[in-house]
Amino acid sequence: MEDRTDGRNANQLRPLGCSRTILNRAHGSARWSQGNTIVLAAVYGPKAGTKKGENPEKASFEVIWKPKTGQIGKQEREYEMILKRTLQSICLVNVHPNTTTSVIVQVVGDDGSLLPCAINASCAALVDAGIPMKHLAVSISCGLMEEGSIILDLTKSEEEKLKAFAYLVFPNSPLSVIDKVHSSKEEPIEHGIITSVSYGAMPVSGYFDCLERGRAASAAISEFLRRSLQKQSSEDASRAAQ
Amino acid sequence: MDVDTGNMTQTNLVDKVVVPGDVVLDLTKMENQTIKLGSGLRQDCDYISVMQAGKLRLSKPNKYWVESSQKRYVHRLEDTVLGIVVEHRSDNFLVDIKAPNLAFLPVLAFEGGTRRNIPKFETGTLIYARVVKANGIMNPELSCTDASGKAAEFGQLKNGYMFETSTGLARMLLSSPTCPVLEALGKKISFETAVGLNGRVWVNASSPDDVILVSNAIMRSEFLSGTQQRIMAEKLLERLQKS
Repeated sequence: MEDRTDGRNANQLRPLGCSRTILNRAHGSARWSQGNTIVLAAVYGPKAGTKKGENPEKASFEVIWKPKTGQIGKQEREYEMILKRTLQSICLVNVHPNTTTSVIVQVVGDDGSLLPCAINASCAALVDAGIPMKHLAVSISCGLMEEGSIILDLTKSEEEKLKAFAYLVFPNSPLSVIDKVHSSKEEPIEHGIITSVSYGAMPVSGYFDCLERGRAASAAISEFLRRSLQKQSSEDASRAAQ
Repeated sequence: MDVDTGNMTQTNLVDKVVVPGDVVLDLTKMENQTIKLGSGLRQDCDYISVMQAGKLRLSKPNKYWVESSQKRYVHRLEDTVLGIVVEHRSDNFLVDIKAPNLAFLPVLAFEGGTRRNIPKFETGTLIYARVVKANGIMNPELSCTDASGKAAEFGQLKNGYMFETSTGLARMLLSSPTCPVLEALGKKISFETAVGLNGRVWVNASSPDDVILVSNAIMRSEFLSGTQQRIMAEKLLERLQKS
């Protein structure tokens, strides 16, 4: 096993950080950091009216991606499109038809795994704004090394060196009152996949390895997200309820 | 049907914080029961799952809801809200109530309202009204009368100061018994307030000092416990030498 530049082993994630309700004017906001990659997401909405060309029977989403420096180009448009499709699939679009929800993503620091960090931040911001959702999304980046081993949560230098890597988005693991006996007939929800963006050429077996490792690691991120939502929410509720 | 074990598995998430996607009730285990679902929960085939993050609450015997606090408001029937007039159409006033859609306030929905005495509300007027139609898809409809047609404090709010809060703080201010911060302030200052469940609060008192003091006390009380609220209110009152 090669050593990674920052001393992590292959399966180790960078320290995660999440804080919510940080912007005063936004209806929901969150800041998500994975090591030095930091993204700030703000949600406004739902607001009345949909744009031309959008289905008025559903709620529509609008994503604006703001890079840290430089002008907005094709890369930003691609990120906006991926983020919009991901958020549309996790939110319940029939609850508020004919409305638009805007998500604005601002990159504060970029050290690799930018899109996964942005997806995690947007999901936390949507929860903060109270937008109805089917489940949460957790996202992770996986890289395929030359000898076939997988490393998780890539930094920028690793992304540049690797031949192939993928960004994966999975649903979170829900708490459930359904008995295990009952639910073993179907696959658990966290075995699904929401989004996958791959760069470079990798063999099919390598891709499936990435999926498995990513899925296993997403359980850790999902647990972190749940704890950070619980911590803030229970602090507020316990103080306000007294 | 073994009701005891059924209840144990189904209510073990009550009073805990839940996130979207959590399954809170399994309907196949509950036969011949009526369950009432409040905000934040939806039915997904055979089970009830969570739409918004918050604390799951149960009001015996069968009402479940998720308690959460947001900056925006989702209109519900029979809620009292504070709206701001945006436009005056021929039949309705368009009122902004911080919901996904603008609300309509019919020009005749006032006590003794006829075509001859339509009130003249300009853009920016603050109105205290009640939601009478709240179909999720259409614009909500408001009314400035209570169920029997009397005015009952609804209508335009003049003077005073309006500020925005979260829906959770608005619910706390309206809870009974009286919210501790309002009680503590009420002992020394005379003021009137109108609280809209959509996260808007209006305060009026005889002098601007009092209005500012009451507004600041309310805004600061969101995350404090009962005793902390009383202490905070008393400190503020002392600073202005009212006690």
